Amino acid sequence: METTVFRLEGVTKRYGDLVALDNVSLDVGVNEYVSFLGPSGSGKTTLLRVIAGFETPEVGRVFFEGRDITYQPAHERGIGFVFQNFALFPHLTVIGNVGFGLAHGKTPVAPAEVDRRARKMIDLVGLSGMEDRGVDQISGGQRQRVALARTLAMQPKLVLLDEPLGALDANLRGRMRNELRAIRERLGVTFLHVTGSENEALAMGDRVVVLDRGRIIQSGRSDEVYDTPASPDVAHFLNRFNLFEGRLADARFTGPFGSVAAPVARRSDRDIYAVRYDRMRVLPAQAATDGPALKATFVASEYLGSSIMNFFETADGKVVEMEHHLSLGAPDTYEAKRDYILTWNPDLAIVFGREGR
Amino acid sequence: MESRVLKPILAVYVAAFLLFLYGPFVVLTIISFQQGPEGGPQFPIIEWSTYWYQHLFGLTPPSRIAPLPVGEALVRSLVLAFMTMVTSTVLGVMAAQAFRKRFRGANVIFYLIVLGMMVPGVLTGLGTSLLANNIIGIERHWYSTAFASHVVYTFPFAFLVMLAILNRFDASVEEAAWSLGVSPITTFRRVTFPLIFPGVLSAMLFAFTLSLDEFPRTLFASGRDQTLPLAIYGTFSVEIHPNIFAFGVLTTLFSFALLSVYGILMAMSVRRARKMAMQEDIT
Repeated sequence: METTVFRLEGVTKRYGDLVALDNVSLDVGVNEYVSFLGPSGSGKTTLLRVIAGFETPEVGRVFFEGRDITYQPAHERGIGFVFQNFALFPHLTVIGNVGFGLAHGKTPVAPAEVDRRARKMIDLVGLSGMEDRGVDQISGGQRQRVALARTLAMQPKLVLLDEPLGALDANLRGRMRNELRAIRERLGVTFLHVTGSENEALAMGDRVVVLDRGRIIQSGRSDEVYDTPASPDVAHFLNRFNLFEGRLADARFTGPFGSVAAPVARRSDRDIYAVRYDRMRVLPAQAATDGPALKATFVASEYLGSSIMNFFETADGKVVEMEHHLSLGAPDTYEAKRDYILTWNPDLAIVFGREGR
Repeated sequence: MESRVLKPILAVYVAAFLLFLYGPFVVLTIISFQQGPEGGPQFPIIEWSTYWYQHLFGLTPPSRIAPLPVGEALVRSLVLAFMTMVTSTVLGVMAAQAFRKRFRGANVIFYLIVLGMMVPGVLTGLGTSLLANNIIGIERHWYSTAFASHVVYTFPFAFLVMLAILNRFDASVEEAAWSLGVSPITTFRRVTFPLIFPGVLSAMLFAFTLSLDEFPRTLFASGRDQTLPLAIYGTFSVEIHPNIFAFGVLTTLFSFALLSVYGILMAMSVRRARKMAMQEDIT
């Protein structure tokens, strides 16, 4: 593993009775890209704000490049922050924004040098020719790049991104993802990226850290988290699993789909059976199967380009999703309001339970 | 339905409002062009003339009517209003800035500040004069005791204006500046202040105009040398001539000029505010 550039030790932050961060510890290496995933209110943004120095934790320490920066003011930390709303300086031009930190920072930089470096940054994010525009005269995606250029111009070793892609449309988001990755490879910066989108987290991060109610509930490589979520909550946030309640006893899971062998189970406080959307298979209502069998009514399907999402509803009103990758061949068509049987290979399911290890 | 009833009522209301706002000024203006020095402050106009305006500047041959003793008072009032404006606005901005962070006793201090504009002016003036004379033992002057009472009076206005402006201020631009390694002081000068400048202008305007025609506090607190409102009031007690009206017209025109400057400065900074608003829209 690379050397640690950044470390959190038992950080706790409260707002009144609300615990925003609960004993969070984390190590981040040089040139790593970490995505924080979690529902709103999970403490993601608070975590970034503590790291940036906009908030002070009640308990715990923050280390950056070996220094304890827990109580250091934000402007002395040398940590970049890209805001969700970009927070550009509305009274300055594009180049005024990008050169702001250089021109008014602690170490004075000559105006000519400010200008040169700001132009270089603007060029890097592909906004050449727009230097003298007001920030109200450019599009949302361009504003985002100005925000990024403004931060990168200071050459910080650590950049915090607070859902910066959230304000963009899907198309631009994809392009910005690529650009972020390219910039990072060129400049060798450590990125901490907060996002509410599981796709973004999985696509961008070397590492995904899943937060819930102020705690880190899983931290690992993207594919690791994706394939082996550590808890039902993680599986839920990944938005890739059908979760079934039931009972795990004697290495068998009994749920709405019958009783299925479950030799491997992860320890959890609840008995939950998780099947990835793309592991589901659909059989006609009369078909016999010796595996799990879940009776469900077809509701509707959604075309997603590379795959089709089919939605079924079980007798107790629960929606079950089934993803069909189009590369596997043309999709079967299902009739609305008609009953089907959903099944899957039980070896590929993930089982959580009090009995698990 | 509703607007059919409401609209005429509102129209009449607005018309009445404008009449009461500008009516006195129109009458004042008409009488200020009365013939002099025989013509008095009443209708009908004997003959139109600019006699009283010339009289104001001492351009008429000497007559039984003494020139209006307002020259020095006018200068005094302008200087006092300017001093008050600068002090109150600076204090107002600083206090409002402090109130962005919740601190212990914030509520008490808030009401203590706002009290300055609530307490009857006569009492403040009297109190100031008693305090200066009997307890501290200093002489009262327009530039000391009266100035202090003007600041106490206008500071809450400036404070409330700035509080409203800063309430709507998006603090993330300041945090952005800090994260670029810019110190809080430079951030205030380079980011916060330019963005709240429209509010600062309004606070200045409030403080200046309130101080310029302040009467009850100044009456007791200003000592020997009078400010303009006191000087004008003093002339009433002798005999009223149209020269006061001429003077009134001139000061009103001056106020309009001041408002125009404010309007121009405002229009310039509103352009900025609009950019700010656009940025907030996308969040």
